Amino acid sequence: MKTIAAVFAFALAGTVLTGCHTTAGTTVVLNHDNGQSLICEGNTRLQNNLAVTGVTYDKVPNGLNRVNIQLTSLVQKDQHLQYRISWYNSEGMEIDAGTRTYRSLILHGQDSVTVTGVANNPAAVKSRLRVREVRSLY
Amino acid sequence: MKANLKYFAGLAMVAMFTGCVSGPGPVTVGGSDDFGRLSTKIEPQDIRETVEHMTESLLADPGVLDATNGERPVLDIELMKNKSQMIVDMKSITDSVRMRLIRSRQFRFVDRSTAGADIAIMDEQQQLGLTDSRKAVRAGRQSAAQMYLTGELTEMSQQVGRVTDRYYKFSMILKDLRTGEIVWADEKEIQKRTKRPLL
Repeated sequence: MKTIAAVFAFALAGTVLTGCHTTAGTTVVLNHDNGQSLICEGNTRLQNNLAVTGVTYDKVPNGLNRVNIQLTSLVQKDQHLQYRISWYNSEGMEIDAGTRTYRSLILHGQDSVTVTGVANNPAAVKSRLRVREVRSLY
Repeated sequence: MKANLKYFAGLAMVAMFTGCVSGPGPVTVGGSDDFGRLSTKIEPQDIRETVEHMTESLLADPGVLDATNGERPVLDIELMKNKSQMIVDMKSITDSVRMRLIRSRQFRFVDRSTAGADIAIMDEQQQLGLTDSRKAVRAGRQSAAQMYLTGELTEMSQQVGRVTDRYYKFSMILKDLRTGEIVWADEKEIQKRTKRPLL
Protein backbone atom coordinates (compact mmCIF):
# COMPACT_ATOMS: atom_id res chain seq x y z
CA MET A 1 0.00 0.00 0.00
CA LYS A 2 2.85 2.31 0.96
CA THR A 3 4.60 1.61 -2.33
CA ILE A 4 1.49 2.29 -4.42
CA ALA A 5 0.80 5.58 -2.64
CA ALA A 6 4.44 6.62 -3.09
CA VAL A 7 4.33 5.83 -6.81
CA PHE A 8 1.12 7.84 -7.26
CA ALA A 9 2.52 10.78 -5.31
CA PHE A 10 5.73 10.74 -7.33
CA ALA A 11 3.86 10.51 -10.65
CA LEU A 12 1.54 13.37 -9.74
CA ALA A 13 4.44 15.55 -8.62
CA GLY A 14 6.17 14.79 -11.90
CA THR A 15 3.07 15.84 -13.83
CA VAL A 16 2.86 19.09 -11.91
CA LEU A 17 6.51 19.88 -12.60
CA THR A 18 6.64 18.94 -16.28
CA GLY A 19 3.05 19.49 -17.51
CA CYS A 20 3.71 22.04 -20.27
CA HIS A 21 6.87 20.72 -21.80
CA THR A 22 7.01 19.66 -25.44
CA THR A 23 9.79 18.16 -27.47
CA ALA A 24 10.76 19.00 -31.07
CA GLY A 25 7.93 18.76 -33.57
CA THR A 26 7.64 17.75 -37.20
CA THR A 27 10.14 19.16 -39.71
CA VAL A 28 9.96 19.20 -43.51
CA VAL A 29 13.12 20.19 -45.37
CA LEU A 30 12.85 20.89 -49.10
CA ASN A 31 15.65 21.61 -51.54
CA HIS A 32 14.16 23.83 -54.27
CA ASP A 33 17.02 23.15 -56.66
CA ASN A 34 16.46 19.41 -56.98
CA GLY A 35 13.07 18.87 -55.30
CA GLN A 36 14.41 16.52 -52.63
CA SER A 37 12.39 16.60 -49.43
CA LEU A 38 12.99 15.12 -46.01
CA ILE A 39 10.41 14.70 -43.27
CA CYS A 40 11.58 14.33 -39.65
CA GLU A 41 9.15 13.56 -36.85
CA GLY A 42 10.66 14.28 -33.46
CA ASN A 43 7.57 14.22 -31.29
CA THR A 44 5.73 10.92 -30.89
CA ARG A 45 2.40 12.50 -29.98
CA LEU A 46 2.51 14.90 -32.93
CA GLN A 47 3.60 12.04 -35.19
CA ASN A 48 0.44 10.14 -34.22
CA ASN A 49 -1.81 13.19 -34.65
CA LEU A 50 -0.42 14.82 -37.78
CA ALA A 51 0.80 13.68 -41.21
CA VAL A 52 2.58 15.55 -43.99
CA THR A 53 0.52 14.55 -47.02
CA GLY A 54 1.95 16.74 -49.76
CA VAL A 55 4.89 18.96 -50.61
CA THR A 56 4.91 21.14 -53.75
CA TYR A 57 7.04 24.09 -54.77
CA ASP A 58 7.19 26.75 -57.46
CA LYS A 59 8.34 30.32 -58.02
CA VAL A 60 6.30 33.49 -57.60
CA PRO A 61 6.31 35.95 -60.56
CA ASN A 62 9.31 37.90 -59.28
CA GLY A 63 11.38 34.72 -59.12
CA LEU A 64 11.33 34.03 -55.38
CA ASN A 65 10.84 30.42 -54.31
CA ARG A 66 7.54 29.33 -52.79
CA VAL A 67 6.69 26.12 -50.92
CA ASN A 68 3.26 24.59 -50.22
CA ILE A 69 2.99 21.84 -47.63
CA GLN A 70 -0.22 19.94 -46.90
CA LEU A 71 -0.78 18.83 -43.31
CA THR A 72 -3.52 16.34 -42.41
CA SER A 73 -4.97 15.63 -39.00
CA LEU A 74 -5.08 11.96 -38.03
CA VAL A 75 -7.35 12.49 -35.02
CA GLN A 76 -10.93 13.61 -34.40
CA LYS A 77 -10.19 16.52 -32.04
CA ASP A 78 -8.99 20.00 -32.97
CA GLN A 79 -5.26 20.62 -32.70
CA HIS A 80 -3.71 23.94 -31.75
CA LEU A 81 -0.37 24.09 -33.53
CA GLN A 82 2.28 26.57 -34.60
CA TYR A 83 4.40 26.46 -37.73
CA ARG A 84 7.37 28.36 -39.07
CA ILE A 85 8.98 28.28 -42.50
CA SER A 86 12.59 29.40 -42.59
CA TRP A 87 14.83 29.76 -45.65
CA TYR A 88 18.45 28.84 -46.34
CA ASN A 89 20.96 29.75 -49.04
CA SER A 90 22.90 27.29 -51.20
CA GLU A 91 25.57 26.99 -48.50
CA GLY A 92 23.02 25.94 -45.92
CA MET A 93 23.08 29.19 -43.94
CA GLU A 94 19.75 30.54 -42.70
CA ILE A 95 18.74 33.82 -44.34
CA ASP A 96 17.62 36.57 -41.95
CA ALA A 97 17.80 34.16 -39.03
CA GLY A 98 15.46 35.04 -36.21
CA THR A 99 13.10 37.15 -38.28
CA ARG A 100 10.75 34.31 -39.17
CA THR A 101 8.01 33.81 -36.67
CA TYR A 102 5.86 30.88 -35.59
CA ARG A 103 2.34 31.27 -36.93
CA SER A 104 -0.81 29.91 -35.33
CA LEU A 105 -2.58 27.00 -36.95
CA ILE A 106 -5.81 25.40 -35.79
CA LEU A 107 -6.21 22.05 -37.47
CA HIS A 108 -9.72 20.64 -37.15
CA GLY A 109 -10.32 16.93 -36.66
CA GLN A 110 -9.50 14.82 -39.75
CA ASP A 111 -9.06 18.03 -41.76
CA SER A 112 -6.24 19.07 -44.09
CA VAL A 113 -4.64 22.47 -44.50
CA THR A 114 -1.95 23.75 -46.83
CA VAL A 115 0.61 26.11 -45.37
CA THR A 116 2.53 28.32 -47.78
CA GLY A 117 5.79 30.18 -47.46
CA VAL A 118 7.47 32.63 -49.82
CA ALA A 119 11.24 33.09 -49.68
CA ASN A 120 12.37 36.39 -48.25
CA ASN A 121 15.41 36.67 -50.51
CA PRO A 122 16.43 35.62 -54.05
CA ALA A 123 19.30 33.59 -52.55
CA ALA A 124 16.92 31.28 -50.67
CA VAL A 125 17.03 27.81 -52.22
CA LYS A 126 16.11 25.57 -49.31
CA SER A 127 13.08 25.78 -47.03
CA ARG A 128 12.45 24.21 -43.66
CA LEU A 129 8.98 23.90 -42.13
CA ARG A 130 8.72 23.27 -38.40
CA VAL A 131 5.40 22.32 -36.82
CA ARG A 132 4.97 22.11 -33.06
CA GLU A 133 2.24 21.99 -30.47
CA VAL A 134 1.32 25.21 -28.71
CA ARG A 135 2.86 25.61 -25.30
CA SER A 136 1.01 27.35 -22.52
CA LEU A 137 2.78 29.83 -20.26
CA TYR A 138 0.47 28.85 -17.39
CA MET B 1 -3.14 5.28 7.22
CA LYS B 2 -0.51 7.52 8.77
CA ALA B 3 1.84 6.75 5.90
CA ASN B 4 -0.84 7.74 3.35
CA LEU B 5 -1.40 11.01 5.16
CA LYS B 6 2.33 11.72 4.96
CA TYR B 7 2.35 11.16 1.22
CA PHE B 8 -0.67 13.41 0.70
CA ALA B 9 0.94 16.10 2.83
CA GLY B 10 4.10 15.80 0.76
CA LEU B 11 2.04 16.07 -2.43
CA ALA B 12 0.28 19.17 -1.15
CA MET B 13 3.68 20.74 -0.41
CA VAL B 14 4.90 20.04 -3.97
CA ALA B 15 1.74 21.58 -5.44
CA MET B 16 2.06 24.59 -3.18
CA PHE B 17 5.66 25.32 -4.06
CA THR B 18 5.32 24.76 -7.81
CA GLY B 19 1.89 26.20 -8.56
CA CYS B 20 1.04 28.96 -6.15
CA VAL B 21 3.96 31.37 -6.33
CA SER B 22 2.72 34.90 -5.72
CA GLY B 23 4.13 38.02 -7.33
CA PRO B 24 6.00 38.15 -10.63
CA GLY B 25 7.18 34.76 -11.79
CA PRO B 26 10.51 33.87 -13.33
CA VAL B 27 11.41 35.74 -16.50
CA THR B 28 11.84 33.64 -19.62
CA VAL B 29 14.21 34.87 -22.30
CA GLY B 30 13.19 34.12 -25.84
CA GLY B 31 10.80 35.02 -28.61
CA SER B 32 7.21 35.84 -27.85
CA ASP B 33 6.26 33.11 -30.30
CA ASP B 34 7.37 30.40 -27.88
CA PHE B 35 4.02 30.40 -26.15
CA GLY B 36 0.34 30.53 -27.00
CA ARG B 37 -1.65 33.72 -26.75
CA LEU B 38 -1.94 35.35 -23.34
CA SER B 39 -4.81 37.81 -23.75
CA THR B 40 -7.52 39.05 -26.10
CA LYS B 41 -5.46 42.14 -26.92
CA ILE B 42 -3.14 42.52 -29.89
CA GLU B 43 0.14 40.92 -28.85
CA PRO B 44 3.63 41.14 -30.35
CA GLN B 45 3.19 37.69 -31.84
CA ASP B 46 0.00 38.83 -33.65
CA ILE B 47 1.92 41.74 -35.13
CA ARG B 48 4.81 39.54 -36.28
CA GLU B 49 2.38 37.12 -37.93
CA THR B 50 0.55 39.99 -39.62
CA VAL B 51 3.71 41.60 -40.95
CA GLU B 52 4.93 38.27 -42.32
CA HIS B 53 1.56 37.51 -43.90
CA MET B 54 1.33 40.92 -45.58
CA THR B 55 4.86 40.96 -46.95
CA GLU B 56 4.63 37.40 -48.29
CA SER B 57 1.31 38.22 -49.95
CA LEU B 58 2.81 41.32 -51.59
CA LEU B 59 5.93 39.45 -52.74
CA ALA B 60 3.82 36.69 -54.31
CA ASP B 61 1.41 38.98 -56.12
CA PRO B 62 1.94 39.28 -59.89
CA GLY B 63 0.07 42.60 -60.16
CA VAL B 64 2.94 44.65 -58.77
CA LEU B 65 5.43 43.52 -61.41
CA ASP B 66 2.80 43.90 -64.15
CA ALA B 67 2.30 47.54 -63.14
CA THR B 68 6.03 48.31 -63.38
CA ASN B 69 6.84 46.21 -66.46
CA GLY B 70 9.04 43.91 -64.43
CA GLU B 71 11.23 46.62 -62.88
CA ARG B 72 11.80 46.96 -59.15
CA PRO B 73 9.18 49.53 -58.16
CA VAL B 74 9.93 52.54 -55.97
CA LEU B 75 7.50 52.62 -53.06
CA ASP B 76 6.60 54.91 -50.22
CA ILE B 77 4.71 53.82 -47.13
CA GLU B 78 2.15 55.81 -45.18
CA LEU B 79 1.93 55.46 -41.42
CA MET B 80 -0.70 52.78 -40.79
CA LYS B 81 -3.85 54.03 -39.07
CA ASN B 82 -5.16 52.64 -35.83
CA LYS B 83 -8.96 52.61 -35.73
CA SER B 84 -9.13 50.16 -32.85
CA GLN B 85 -9.61 50.99 -29.17
CA MET B 86 -6.22 49.57 -28.32
CA ILE B 87 -3.02 51.54 -28.06
CA VAL B 88 -0.76 50.02 -30.71
CA ASP B 89 2.53 51.42 -31.98
CA MET B 90 1.59 51.71 -35.64
CA LYS B 91 4.95 53.31 -36.51
CA SER B 92 6.69 50.14 -35.43
CA ILE B 93 4.40 47.97 -37.59
CA THR B 94 4.86 50.29 -40.57
CA ASP B 95 8.65 50.14 -40.14
CA SER B 96 8.58 46.34 -39.89
CA VAL B 97 6.64 45.99 -43.16
CA ARG B 98 9.07 48.32 -44.93
CA MET B 99 12.12 46.58 -43.47
CA ARG B 100 10.98 43.14 -44.63
CA LEU B 101 10.19 44.40 -48.13
CA ILE B 102 13.56 46.13 -48.43
CA ARG B 103 15.36 42.98 -47.29
CA SER B 104 13.59 40.97 -49.99
CA ARG B 105 15.41 43.17 -52.56
CA GLN B 106 12.28 43.25 -54.71
CA PHE B 107 11.33 46.85 -53.89
CA ARG B 108 13.02 50.21 -53.52
CA PHE B 109 11.76 52.72 -50.98
CA VAL B 110 11.83 56.47 -50.54
CA ASP B 111 11.20 58.02 -47.14
CA ARG B 112 9.40 61.34 -47.01
CA SER B 113 9.67 61.51 -43.23
CA THR B 114 13.40 62.30 -43.51
CA ALA B 115 13.04 64.81 -46.36
CA GLY B 116 13.77 67.70 -43.98
CA ALA B 117 17.07 66.12 -42.96
CA ASP B 118 17.94 65.52 -46.63
CA ILE B 119 17.50 69.21 -47.43
CA ALA B 120 19.46 70.28 -44.36
CA ILE B 121 22.42 68.07 -45.31
CA MET B 122 22.36 69.28 -48.94
CA ASP B 123 22.24 72.91 -47.77
CA GLU B 124 25.21 72.30 -45.50
CA GLN B 125 27.17 70.73 -48.34
CA GLN B 126 26.44 73.75 -50.55
CA GLN B 127 26.90 76.54 -48.04
CA LEU B 128 29.44 75.63 -45.38
CA GLY B 129 32.31 75.32 -47.81
CA LEU B 130 33.56 72.05 -46.33
CA THR B 131 32.43 69.83 -49.20
CA ASP B 132 34.03 69.67 -52.64
CA SER B 133 31.45 71.54 -54.73
CA ARG B 134 31.79 69.00 -57.56
CA LYS B 135 30.85 66.19 -55.16
CA ALA B 136 28.10 68.01 -53.26
CA VAL B 137 24.66 66.51 -53.79
CA ARG B 138 22.18 68.89 -55.35
CA ALA B 139 18.46 68.86 -54.70
CA GLY B 140 16.08 67.70 -57.38
CA ARG B 141 17.66 64.37 -58.22
CA GLN B 142 15.91 62.00 -55.82
CA SER B 143 13.77 59.10 -56.98
CA ALA B 144 10.03 59.50 -57.03
CA ALA B 145 7.67 56.99 -55.48
CA GLN B 146 5.65 55.19 -58.14
CA MET B 147 3.34 53.54 -55.64
CA TYR B 148 2.53 53.83 -51.97
CA LEU B 149 1.45 51.43 -49.28
CA THR B 150 -1.14 52.27 -46.68
CA GLY B 151 -3.08 50.30 -44.12
CA GLU B 152 -5.22 50.31 -41.03
CA LEU B 153 -6.16 48.28 -37.98
CA THR B 154 -9.84 47.97 -37.07
CA GLU B 155 -11.53 46.20 -34.19
CA MET B 156 -14.93 44.77 -33.33
CA SER B 157 -15.90 43.17 -30.06
CA GLN B 158 -19.00 41.63 -28.59
CA GLN B 159 -19.86 40.15 -25.23
CA VAL B 160 -22.44 37.44 -24.68
CA GLY B 161 -22.74 36.38 -21.07
CA ARG B 162 -19.30 35.45 -19.83
CA VAL B 163 -17.86 35.10 -23.32
CA THR B 164 -16.08 38.02 -24.98
CA ASP B 165 -15.15 37.90 -28.65
CA ARG B 166 -12.62 40.33 -30.10
CA TYR B 167 -12.04 40.61 -33.79
CA TYR B 168 -9.17 42.59 -35.24
CA LYS B 169 -8.45 43.21 -38.88
CA PHE B 170 -5.27 44.54 -40.44
CA SER B 171 -5.80 45.65 -44.02
CA MET B 172 -3.28 47.06 -46.46
CA ILE B 173 -3.43 48.38 -50.02
CA LEU B 174 -0.81 49.33 -52.61
CA LYS B 175 -1.84 52.15 -54.89
CA ASP B 176 -0.24 53.15 -58.20
CA LEU B 177 0.28 56.93 -58.13
CA ARG B 178 0.29 57.32 -61.92
CA THR B 179 -2.94 55.48 -62.64
CA GLY B 180 -4.67 55.77 -59.27
CA GLU B 181 -5.38 52.04 -59.38
CA ILE B 182 -5.12 49.74 -56.40
CA VAL B 183 -2.50 47.22 -57.46
CA TRP B 184 -2.63 44.94 -54.43
CA ALA B 185 -4.73 44.57 -51.30
CA ASP B 186 -4.85 42.04 -48.51
CA GLU B 187 -6.08 41.67 -44.98
CA LYS B 188 -5.27 39.58 -41.94
CA GLU B 189 -7.95 38.70 -39.42
CA ILE B 190 -7.24 37.94 -35.80
CA GLN B 191 -10.07 36.56 -33.69
CA LYS B 192 -9.77 36.01 -29.96
CA ARG B 193 -12.22 34.64 -27.44
CA THR B 194 -12.10 34.63 -23.67
CA LYS B 195 -14.50 33.25 -21.09
CA ARG B 196 -14.75 34.94 -17.72
CA PRO B 197 -14.48 32.47 -14.84
CA LEU B 198 -17.65 31.79 -12.89
CA LEU B 199 -16.12 32.90 -9.57
